Amino acid sequence: MYIIIVGCGRVGGELAKLLSSEGHNVVIIDKNPHAFNRLGAGFNGITLVGNGFDPELLKSAGIEKTDAFCAVTNGDNTNIMSSQVAKKMFNVPKVVARVYDPMRAEIYKTLGLDVISGTILFASMLRDKIIESRFSSYLIETGELGVIEIDINDKFKGRPVEDINMPGEFIITAVINKKKQTIIPESRTVLEKGDKIMAVVKTASLQKVRKIFEL
Amino acid sequence: MLIVIVGGGKVGFFLAKRLLKDKHTVSLVEKDKNTCETIAKQLDILIIHGDGCNVENLEQAGIKKADVLAAVTGDDEDNLVICQLAKDKFGVGRTVGRVNDPVNTHSFSELGVDVPIDSTSIIAKIVEEEVSFSDFVNLMSFKRGKLAIVRVDLPEDSPVINKRLQDIALPPSSVLVSIIRGEGVIVPRGDTVLLASDDIIALTLVENEQQLLSSLIGKI
Repeated sequence: MYIIIVGCGRVGGELAKLLSSEGHNVVIIDKNPHAFNRLGAGFNGITLVGNGFDPELLKSAGIEKTDAFCAVTNGDNTNIMSSQVAKKMFNVPKVVARVYDPMRAEIYKTLGLDVISGTILFASMLRDKIIESRFSSYLIETGELGVIEIDINDKFKGRPVEDINMPGEFIITAVINKKKQTIIPESRTVLEKGDKIMAVVKTASLQKVRKIFEL
Repeated sequence: MLIVIVGGGKVGFFLAKRLLKDKHTVSLVEKDKNTCETIAKQLDILIIHGDGCNVENLEQAGIKKADVLAAVTGDDEDNLVICQLAKDKFGVGRTVGRVNDPVNTHSFSELGVDVPIDSTSIIAKIVEEEVSFSDFVNLMSFKRGKLAIVRVDLPEDSPVINKRLQDIALPPSSVLVSIIRGEGVIVPRGDTVLLASDDIIALTLVENEQQLLSSLIGKI
């Protein structure tokens, strides 16, 4: 694929190296020529100095033939403007923008832009590290869904998965047995004492699940 | 009318001052606290200290009831986003966005800013007019550059000198708006006779600009 990246910070730089090492054609743009130092000597893509929403610069970056465009500068508005220029003026098939501000991210999502915020996910991950040992709430950005890890005790041993699942609220998706084997269970898979289960849970049902499993 | 201005620099400040004088209700959003305080001492308007790209600050400035939003910060990407938030999130009828770098003017129009104002080009044009010794100056463009007001100084050897306007063949969609002769201004009529060193102000479709020029000056 031909891919244009705007912003050669930590994320943009890593993304460029990753895609380039996978054999994609990468063009990376940054205002600051020193930013390209972090790409290292191994990077064999193209670097361009300039503004990621300048139509002329984008043309010279090959935007008219690019398959994908990604804006990851540290300025939300720069990313929003760059990605709209790519999407609406040059009809790039795949356009992604990072927008730190969750509010703006949400608005531009509804306006049809493919936006990754990361802010809420990252905050949730930190929260889980601090507060929770079993529950991860960072599955999706809205925080509606999480993954919970539960040890099977005497109360649940010998029961099949379908017996414990709560449709719409709580579904067991993986079982790690005593031999440390990970199994994707069928509905009839029977749980044993010492098994560890991973289940997807609606955040709204978390308290209910905690009560049932006495966590 | 309620007008929300984002950006309290020179442009934002003088805009607010003028609109206030014309009896409009004005509110202003500005990032810098000191600038806010300075403006608050001089103008009796609602000033929000905050980021105009932030939905809450726009709401505090009364964006929901605003008739017009003007984004006049020094950053084009900010101005674009502010205009888009006003239009798409709050349904503001008219958004005016200042373009600092002329390369972005086209993008502003394409991405939904109602009135992009390319301040750099405007200033450059005025300066160009003042320093120019050429016979022809483009004073202003409208309708995304399709229509222009131009000034033509008639040289001594112009083919239209001593002719009546009704006898001059102008290209289609071109109108002579006024003739500046010495200190006076003449509103042209069919029987007006053109003289050497008249300054002609004309309105024309940009695509007919060269034709207009050749009919008035005789060469390009």
